[in-house]
Amino acid sequence: MSPEEGAPDAAADDAARDYLETTIWAEVDRALSGITARPVTDEEERSVIDLVVRVPPREVVTALRALRDAQGMNFDYLRSLTAVDYEEEGVDVVYHLYSVETRHNVTVKCRLAADRLVVESATSVWRAANWYEREAQEMFGVRFEGHPDPRNLLLPEEMTDVFPLRKSHPLAEIEVLQGEGIAYEEGEL
Amino acid sequence: MVANTPEQEFETRELLINMGPQHPSTHGVFRMVLGVDGEVVTDVVPYIGYMHRGAEKLCETMDFRQGVGYMDRTEYLANFNAELSYVLAVERLAGIEVPERAQWIRMILCELNRLSSHFMFTGAFGTDVGVFGTAFVYSFREREVILDLFEEITGDRLMYAYFRPGGLAWEVPENFETRVHEVLLSARHGIREMDSLLTENEIFLARTKGVGAISAADAVDWGMSGPSLRASGVPLDLRRDDPYLYYPQVDFDVITGEAGDVFDRYHVRLREMRESVRIIEQCMEHLSDGPILPERLPRMLRTPPGEIYERTEAPRGEYGIYLVSRGGNRPYRLKVRSACFSNLQALRDMTIGHYVADAVVILGSIDIVLCEVDR
Repeated sequence: MSPEEGAPDAAADDAARDYLETTIWAEVDRALSGITARPVTDEEERSVIDLVVRVPPREVVTALRALRDAQGMNFDYLRSLTAVDYEEEGVDVVYHLYSVETRHNVTVKCRLAADRLVVESATSVWRAANWYEREAQEMFGVRFEGHPDPRNLLLPEEMTDVFPLRKSHPLAEIEVLQGEGIAYEEGEL
Repeated sequence: MVANTPEQEFETRELLINMGPQHPSTHGVFRMVLGVDGEVVTDVVPYIGYMHRGAEKLCETMDFRQGVGYMDRTEYLANFNAELSYVLAVERLAGIEVPERAQWIRMILCELNRLSSHFMFTGAFGTDVGVFGTAFVYSFREREVILDLFEEITGDRLMYAYFRPGGLAWEVPENFETRVHEVLLSARHGIREMDSLLTENEIFLARTKGVGAISAADAVDWGMSGPSLRASGVPLDLRRDDPYLYYPQVDFDVITGEAGDVFDRYHVRLREMRESVRIIEQCMEHLSDGPILPERLPRMLRTPPGEIYERTEAPRGEYGIYLVSRGGNRPYRLKVRSACFSNLQALRDMTIGHYVADAVVILGSIDIVLCEVDR
C-alpha cells in the first residue's frame, strides 16, 4: 500500500524494492566495510518495507557501531531489539535501526546456533539496548555478553531456567482449542 | 565530656525508599527503589513486569483477526492506535487493499484517541504536580465525551476491537459526522481550559520548569519516542517521517520543545492536541461514501512468508509491530515495541539529582501505561 494511492501497484513496489536493495544497501555496505554482511533478498525471508542485513554473530556489535557512526546515513536510533526462535535452526537476534536525520531504516540480523546462544551486548552502542536485551535473555535464553545488568526484567527474578517465548515452551491447551479445524473446515478456505 | 561537632550532630546517610508497586502515583503497577540523600534522589532502580501477560506468545496462537483484540489490552488508553499498527502490518504483509473510506475513518478515530489519551494525561499529570482535582475532573469530562462517541461506534468504552485487517468491523453510525463535530467543539473548549488551568498556573510552572530535563542526544540514545522525545527538540514524528494512512494528504505541524524538561513534555502534548483537531477537521472533508472492507476478503486470512516491522505514531510514541510470518494464518513471531518501554528506561537519567517530590512529577511526565510496558 503506498500512502498516496492507497492501492498496491506492482511497478511502484518493484521500484521501492530496487531502491532498498541497491541505494540503501550501497550505503550500508560502505559503512560495513570489512564485515561480512549480506542483504536478505530471498522473497520468503525479506521484510516488506525495510532492508534486512545479515551479519555473523561475532561481528554484530562492530557492525552496529559502524552503522551508528557512519557518515551520511548514520543509523543512530535503536527502534527495537528482539529475538526469533527457529528451533533447531537456531535463534535470530534482530535489531531495528533508524536514522533520525535521513529517515531511513535498516534491520540487522544475526543467527545464533541453537547450542550456543551467546552474542555480545549492544549496550555499549546504545543504552536503549539494555532492557530489550534483558527481555530477549529471559524470554529466549540468549546470553548477552558484557551486559551491565543481566537480571530478569518482566519475569520473576529467580525464573532463569524457563524461556517462555521459545517454540518448545507450551501454552497450555489453547493451541488445540483454537486450531484451524474448529472454526473452519479443511478446504473451506 | 566533649561536645559533638556540627557534622556529627547532623550526620546524614543514604536511604533506600521503596515506591510502589501499588502507589497511586505510579499510574498502574510499577515499582521503583529510590536512593535518597536527604531530599535528593541519588539512584533509581525501576522494576516492571507486574502486568506481563505474555501477549506476544498468545498472539502466536491466534489468527490475524483474533490478534486485534489483544492489541487493545496492551495499550488501553490508545487502543485504536495499537490496533492500527497490527492491522497495517497484516495488510502490508498479505498485500490487502484497504478502501479509502475505511482509511479516513481510521485516521479520525486514531486522532480522537490521541485527544482522549492526552486529556487523560493532562488530568492525571495535574494531580501528580499538585493541582489537585480541578484539572483532573475537567479533563476527564472531556475524555468521557470522546469515549461516548467510541462507545456509540464500537459498543465499548475501552476495548474496541473495531479495526480489521482489510478495513473496519462495521459501518459507523449515520450521525457520525455530526457527532465528531460535536466532540471536536467540546475538545477545543477543553484544550483551552487545560491551557488556562495548567499552563498559566504559577504552582504548576514552579513544579515543572527545569525539572527532569534530558538532552536531545541522550533521548535518542535511550530510544525515546513520541512527545517525550520531541520535547527535547528532536522533530521525529512518524506521521510525517514514515507516513502511513493518508497523513501525507493532511496539513499539520510537528510540535517540538526546547528544554526537554517536564514542562516541555506537557506542553508538547497540549499543543499536539490542537494539531489533532486540525487533522480530524481535514479528514472530515475527505470522508466520502464507499465500502469499508475490500470486496474479496478470505474468511481465513493467510499471509505469504516474510516479515515486517510496522510502526505508527501512537500518543505515547512509536508503537511498533514486528511480525514474522512463515505462511499460514497466524504470526510465527509477534513482537510489540512499546513506546513507554523505551521512554521509561530514561527515567533514571531524568530523576537523579532532583527532589523526591519531583520523582513523581517526572514519572508522570512520561505518561506511562504499564500494560503497554509489560505486554
